[in-house]
Amino acid sequence: MHKKNVSYDVILIAVFMLIGGLIIGFILLSSHKGKSVEVRIDGKIQGYYSLNENRTVNISSATGENILVIENGQAYMKDADCPDKLCVRQGSVSKDGQSIICLPHKVVVEVTGNESEKKQNSTDIIVK
Amino acid sequence: MMVREMKKMILSCLIAVIFLFSGCENADNNNVDVPHATKEIFAMDTYMMLTAYGEQAEKAVDEAVVEIKRLDKLLSVGEPDSEVYHINSDGKGTLSEDVQLLLEKSSWIYNNTGGTYDITVYPLMKLWGFTEEKQSVPSQKEIDKVLGYIGFDKLHYADGEISLAENQGIDFGGIAKGYTGERIMQIFEKYDVISGVISLGGNVQCFGAKTDGSLWKCGITDPDNPQDSNKLLGIVSVRDKAVITSGGYERFFEENGKTYHHIMDVKTGYPAKSGLRSVTIVSNDGTLADGLSTACFVMGKEKAVSFWEKHKDKFDMILMTDENRIFVTEGIAGNFSSERDFERIA
Repeated sequence: MHKKNVSYDVILIAVFMLIGGLIIGFILLSSHKGKSVEVRIDGKIQGYYSLNENRTVNISSATGENILVIENGQAYMKDADCPDKLCVRQGSVSKDGQSIICLPHKVVVEVTGNESEKKQNSTDIIVK
Repeated sequence: MMVREMKKMILSCLIAVIFLFSGCENADNNNVDVPHATKEIFAMDTYMMLTAYGEQAEKAVDEAVVEIKRLDKLLSVGEPDSEVYHINSDGKGTLSEDVQLLLEKSSWIYNNTGGTYDITVYPLMKLWGFTEEKQSVPSQKEIDKVLGYIGFDKLHYADGEISLAENQGIDFGGIAKGYTGERIMQIFEKYDVISGVISLGGNVQCFGAKTDGSLWKCGITDPDNPQDSNKLLGIVSVRDKAVITSGGYERFFEENGKTYHHIMDVKTGYPAKSGLRSVTIVSNDGTLADGLSTACFVMGKEKAVSFWEKHKDKFDMILMTDENRIFVTEGIAGNFSSERDFERIA
């Protein structure tokens, strides 16, 4: 009887530890989840795309098209039919808070998802 | 008995660990308790971001967006229905309260900065193509002709009416965003916003301090890396201030291997070459900060410093010269930090 009790407790402890481990693992994973880009047109969110997955995203707005490429953890505007093409010239973004903006098409592509990097980046706002 | 204690211990450890982690998450976001609203909007040919904290933050930000659109319609040089468009095409007009205020502020800056900020620069901006998508260097003959139209002292306004000299045109582009920011600060005040920050195309205005009481950290763009928010000229920490920068890196074009930026010197008719790469103005007065960032850029370091000495109660500034030397006036030197060397102006 006594012996049986101990083995039951060992199982319970093991279950607790497993649950604990899972919770810790989940918290760790979710706080260090991969970064993604948020695509917005005129302030409205169109979609989120992980930076971990290489792909091409066609962004169609009322005023034109932008082609966003995600490659090796970075995002850049490959092409656009806007007149100034400043978004294409802007190059690639990968750090939290960085963004590519296409004014004529009202398109914003912003890197999000890594709070610890945001904290490191010690400014609240950029003056241009 | 021992096992039961162990169970208790493990359970409490588990709970402690969970609290620890949730505690960390909350520390990342100390504003979690205060309602806040953020909105982005495309207006005045640029990208704008508004954030407010407070019980009525949503209302404050919504009304700010309405105000931005109203002022854009009023002040746009290209919008065929705007007040400024009508003044430019008719050579005269009746002034709204906003345009009246902007004229008075423009007049003060013009008269106190040796005419380095001049709203009648518009025909020159047009000649260089900075009002369009395509720019090119005009001939000296064309420049000389247009310079003849320029001069704030040539236009007249009184009793709510304005009349321009022949071929004159006005553009409030150099102070419109600063003025709009000031109007938004008034709206934030009306809705009891406790903390807020706006960026109108990189023109920043801060309302109060951050919700945790610390100052807003404003990163100033490095002219060598204008796209990289991780490489900065420096950081200035403020509360209740406008922080506005003018630099030749903002808008420019290349022709025959030479670059030409958009900040015009109305004396020469060419982009200003004053030995400065970047001028940041920090002031309670957003409209003034906007106009002075242009004026001081055109004036150059020496004149800008002697102007500051006369008006140091109104503003502070951060200058970067062509040799990449950084100068900070004493009022904000204690709140400025940079990875580069900088010198204090007292």
